[in-house]
Amino acid sequence: MVLNSLDKMIHLQKNTANIRNICVLAHVDHGKTTLTDCLISSNGIISSRLAGKLRYMDSREDEQIRGITMKSSAISLHYATGNEEYLINLIDSPGHVDFSSEVSTAVRICDGCIIVVDAVEGVCPQTQAVLRQAWLENIRPVLVINKIDRLIVELKFTPQEAYSHLKNILEQINALTGTLFTSKVLEERAERETESQVNPHSEQGEQVYDWSTGLEDTDDSQLYFSPEQGNVVFTSAIDGWGFGIEHFARIYSQKIGIKKEVLMKTLWGDYCINMKAKKIMKGDQAKGKKPLFVQLILENIWSLYDAVLKKDKDKIDKIVTSLGLKIGAREARHSDPKVQINAICSQWLPISHAVLAMVCQKLPSPLDITAERVERLMCTGSQTFDSLPPETQALKAAFMKCGSEETAPVIIFVSKMFAVDAKALPQNKPRPLTQEEIAQRHERARQRHAEKLAAAQGQAPLEPTQDGSALETCPKGEEPRGDEQQVESMTSKPVLQEEDNQESFIAFARVFSGVARRGKKIFVLGPKYSPLEFLRRVPLGFSAPPDGLPPVPHMAYCALENLYLLMGRELEYLEEVPPGNVLGIGGLQDFVLKSATLCSLPSCPPFIPLNFEATPIVRVAVEPKHPSEMPQLVKGMKLLNQADPCVQILIQETGEHVLVTAGEVHLQRCLDDLKERFAKIHISVSEPIIPFRETITKPPKVDMVNEEIGKQQKVAVIHQMKEDQNKIPEGIQVDSVGLITITTPNKLATLSVRAMPLPEEVTQILEENSDLIRSMEQLTSSLNEGENTQVIHQKIQEKIWEFKGKLEQHLTGRRWRNIVDQIWSFGPRKCGPNILVNKSEDFQNSIWTGPAAKASKEASRYRDLGNSIVSGFQLATLSGPMCEEPLMGVCFILEKWDLSKFEEQGASDLAKEGQEENETCSGGNESQELQDGCSEAFEKRTSHKGESPLTDCYGPISGQLIATMKEACRYALQVKPQRLMAAMYTCEIMATSDVLGRVYAVLSKREGRVLQEEMKEGTDMFIIKAVLPVAESFGFADEIRKRTSGLASPQLVFSHWEIIPSDPFWVPTTEEEYLHFGEKADSENQARKYMNAVRKRKGLYVEEKIVEHAEKQRTLSKNK
Amino acid sequence: MSIFTPTNQIRLTNVAVVRMKRAGKRFEIACYKNKVVGWRSGVEKDLDEVLQTHSVFVNVSKGQVAKKEDLISAFGTDDQTEICKQILTKGEVQVSDKERHTQLEQMFRDIATIVADKCVNPETKRPYTVILIERAMKDIHYSVKTNKSTKQQALEVIKQLKEKMKIERAHMRLRFILPVNEGKKLKEKLKPLIKVIESEDYGQQLEIVCLIDPGCFREIDELIKKETKGKGSLEALNLKDVEEGDEKFE
Repeated sequence: MVLNSLDKMIHLQKNTANIRNICVLAHVDHGKTTLTDCLISSNGIISSRLAGKLRYMDSREDEQIRGITMKSSAISLHYATGNEEYLINLIDSPGHVDFSSEVSTAVRICDGCIIVVDAVEGVCPQTQAVLRQAWLENIRPVLVINKIDRLIVELKFTPQEAYSHLKNILEQINALTGTLFTSKVLEERAERETESQVNPHSEQGEQVYDWSTGLEDTDDSQLYFSPEQGNVVFTSAIDGWGFGIEHFARIYSQKIGIKKEVLMKTLWGDYCINMKAKKIMKGDQAKGKKPLFVQLILENIWSLYDAVLKKDKDKIDKIVTSLGLKIGAREARHSDPKVQINAICSQWLPISHAVLAMVCQKLPSPLDITAERVERLMCTGSQTFDSLPPETQALKAAFMKCGSEETAPVIIFVSKMFAVDAKALPQNKPRPLTQEEIAQRHERARQRHAEKLAAAQGQAPLEPTQDGSALETCPKGEEPRGDEQQVESMTSKPVLQEEDNQESFIAFARVFSGVARRGKKIFVLGPKYSPLEFLRRVPLGFSAPPDGLPPVPHMAYCALENLYLLMGRELEYLEEVPPGNVLGIGGLQDFVLKSATLCSLPSCPPFIPLNFEATPIVRVAVEPKHPSEMPQLVKGMKLLNQADPCVQILIQETGEHVLVTAGEVHLQRCLDDLKERFAKIHISVSEPIIPFRETITKPPKVDMVNEEIGKQQKVAVIHQMKEDQNKIPEGIQVDSVGLITITTPNKLATLSVRAMPLPEEVTQILEENSDLIRSMEQLTSSLNEGENTQVIHQKIQEKIWEFKGKLEQHLTGRRWRNIVDQIWSFGPRKCGPNILVNKSEDFQNSIWTGPAAKASKEASRYRDLGNSIVSGFQLATLSGPMCEEPLMGVCFILEKWDLSKFEEQGASDLAKEGQEENETCSGGNESQELQDGCSEAFEKRTSHKGESPLTDCYGPISGQLIATMKEACRYALQVKPQRLMAAMYTCEIMATSDVLGRVYAVLSKREGRVLQEEMKEGTDMFIIKAVLPVAESFGFADEIRKRTSGLASPQLVFSHWEIIPSDPFWVPTTEEEYLHFGEKADSENQARKYMNAVRKRKGLYVEEKIVEHAEKQRTLSKNK
Repeated sequence: MSIFTPTNQIRLTNVAVVRMKRAGKRFEIACYKNKVVGWRSGVEKDLDEVLQTHSVFVNVSKGQVAKKEDLISAFGTDDQTEICKQILTKGEVQVSDKERHTQLEQMFRDIATIVADKCVNPETKRPYTVILIERAMKDIHYSVKTNKSTKQQALEVIKQLKEKMKIERAHMRLRFILPVNEGKKLKEKLKPLIKVIESEDYGQQLEIVCLIDPGCFREIDELIKKETKGKGSLEALNLKDVEEGDEKFE
């Protein structure tokens, strides 16, 4: 099957100057994979008849079904021109937005790229995106304008029209390149300016007068695509033809006798030819003269198509003979004109030749890597190259040299890991068939053949490497090989079965310098590794065996187990890979997560992280169908995370497993992978749970129609007003400012609690300092225990004072006087954004005082009862009254706590019961908790406590206090205007000016708010910053992409909590509101919608009618 | 004399009857289905949406209207609407299909929420989601009992789920402070109740930090109280030992 034997490939790999690493980039459906097919067929790997239909690189089933590429995959091709032989490592990439991460992985390991543009559709959003990516990675592009046949067959253009259309496309692309270029120049200039501000002495005079943008000084002529430079090719991949103007220049220079150089310059552009004079003149379109391109090139092709489509036999024959081609009898007789065209054109203007010749001439070899690119790759983030350690800087030379000597350091970059079925690996191929494989027999038959070749190559050198260093690498490769000898033996089956289920990970990588050899030991450097770290930890000039090195973060040391030549869906064994080549490396799955840099020297910096155009934004929660399959799911998700460069996987505090993907199609692929390859279980997908917070606000001054409330009288909506009162049961007093006074069930203790909204800044401070609060809590609790072992750290103490200062600064005004000093606790979980304040006179146990004030007996007794009150507060803040979500930004003020009756009763027993009571209280927290949870224990408790005078039929006093405090807090909240808080995303959208309106429409439909909009300098892109509730974000990315035809892509990041302004319990009360909203106010209330959704999910009571209109129910007839 | 002719006969369909016995007599009113519960909970405020007709019957299906004297003797008024309201709030209801359905569904959810709240996956120490618990409950064919509290049922569900999947009550972290001389003896007795002992510290007093099943708390509490005669103390450090924060796979 493979015409170019592995030998040849290996031979070619050594000639670095003749290697081209290229990738094919384009918008979705512009014909990347078809073009790749054509190029592959030139190597005889697939039949030329199948080229364009087979889509050889789309090896996944869903790729074939959907007809889009979903992953980047590489293949090595051989191309000979003249006496030069080239090895082309071609990488096919997906065009769909969702998989732009795959494009990033491909671009990184290439030196050049082919940009494919559809001749009909022209420049599309993804074309822009891939151009930008290629630009950012500093790789050189060439252009292929594909699907020229559609201009002829579908649009029925005349050659003249087609020419101007093509010219248009070219201009668009060059305009794009131009904007990329200008934005870069402007950026550089901005950098230079900041630099020059730092040292103002340099070129001061020049700076003052330099108002030009610097664009004029920078040469950009090399950047643009133009046919006369030979970096543009016109093709029709489906019909198998393509040409650059060089091809025609050569032909016509012989025919007409004009110099080839002249023709090269004039074949494209506004020139016309005077046939008689054999002179080329600067043409004038107005005169109606045809440009050379039309006259000499397009018209020929048009006439050929014309002849074939009209089935003009004579003319076809004439053309064929004049072109000196031989058409097989079968094609000539074929009734489908497509087949004929294909047969003629692929001989006349073979596409592979046109494209590959351009690639070989115009794109750089690995040797030509620019210094600029090397520096870019090596400098992470804001580092500059000069700041790297000298050892690292020295590596630059190795990069540039790309040497294959033994001494050259080995540098390999792994851009992604991809999963391969273990049985697809060359070493595992010949094995007894299992049931599910029978379906794949056909494919395997082909693989067998390849295996034979590989085995012939791989077997012989395998043995010698077994000793010494490569020892541990071998067993894995050896075991299946053993099976090969005893192919059908039953005993080995279980072992194999086990291996069947394994996905093997192969690293998609490129050697930048040095020779990668099987079994070579190498450092694996993670993306966060820093060579500085290493140099600091390891003494200079280390000579110890690398295994004995101290552990350095993000670094591992391992051997290259298996090296593969990537041939699309197949893999071939290799012994060594010389520099400049793309390769697959097996056995790295335990060391490399997604991408890594492999180097024989630890001083190498990790390459800059791949820059992904799309960040994952589509979130879903994944669960196994059968709850017992959880471990498989987790394992599968771990594998998926490794196999996909762009997926994110989180386990949330709620226990949800959240999968974050780049888009809907990507999501679908990830789920398929999970189901069929990695987890192999049934899974169900749902929207993740959206968290909310509950809070209160100040009473509003205006009503819903912006009328002042005080002025107008309330319309008598009597039962609604009653309703509000009914919420508070009897036995609880509420005063006009919302002070709740409540007594414990045994009537011994009375609490007065008030709730107040905290200012926004305070909430923010509390959020930011939750860690500090937690450590404060730990400190006081350990001090309460009487262990003074922990000395308060000076730094922490300072931080605490700073924190306190900040709080005091924001809590000013009459109502907040002295409140900071009276803070008792934070909640929920003792570190949340809510405050409990104790305003009673004898309170001295605030969080700031620490252990000092707790000496007296009185205080300690208060402390014990106080614990119950604090626990009550903690419980209340953990789940609010609206929908049992945590509270945020609420301050509870305990105005009074009257325990006098309780003390009276307790006083007599105090002496002897002091100790006991102590216990009751400390244990009480939980006993109450348990009563909440399980009433089963309630009676037990009381019966056992029966002898104690402190307890009665209502349970221990501490438990009652907790419950009472919790109730008090709830009611205190309910008398205030309650609000929901929604989690908000900040959303950054890049969009071109023409889709701006639609972006805004989508945003406003989803309750988003635009914060800022600015134009990116040097481009026509706008950057819009907006906030959007998390609850509205599902499907947002997809919708915005659909509405803007992919021209805007949002990025979502969680930012903050925001109060939803509408009142979830709102009903019209004033006359104006009545007029405006009607009696029922059925216009949608955002807050109520959220609240009811949460309540329904939790199984709480929802105030919704089961049946809205009683009369409209289905009438059941008597006998049904 | 009224004559039963089709013209003055009002046929009621989809009737839900609410009955009440007062002064030895039975009174009935005719309501729409699926509405009475809504009225009682205050969601439905429009009486006409609940009542099919404002008249009070002795027997709805026979169409016998209650006599005025009976109404006055039983309710002290002959205002039919007022009496209807009284019967609506206090009478026996016939719960309709949708009402029952929503009630069961609500309880089912509530139970699942409680279970999810109380339990963790013992391997990861992370909670299960409510949806997963709901599905598991359906798998074991748990049927909700309307006459038992949801909390009680949740405990039952946990017991049953344990056989099917890896689920456990979230542990409670406790600290005992025991007098040394009795501590050792007591520790042996406590051992079967403790799941994991995290730290032990013999100083002036024996201090143990451990994880327990919340169900055992009471027993432990009693045991300590009895054995140490009030000298030992116990303190809950953490009610639910659960992993906090999000975890990202890397």
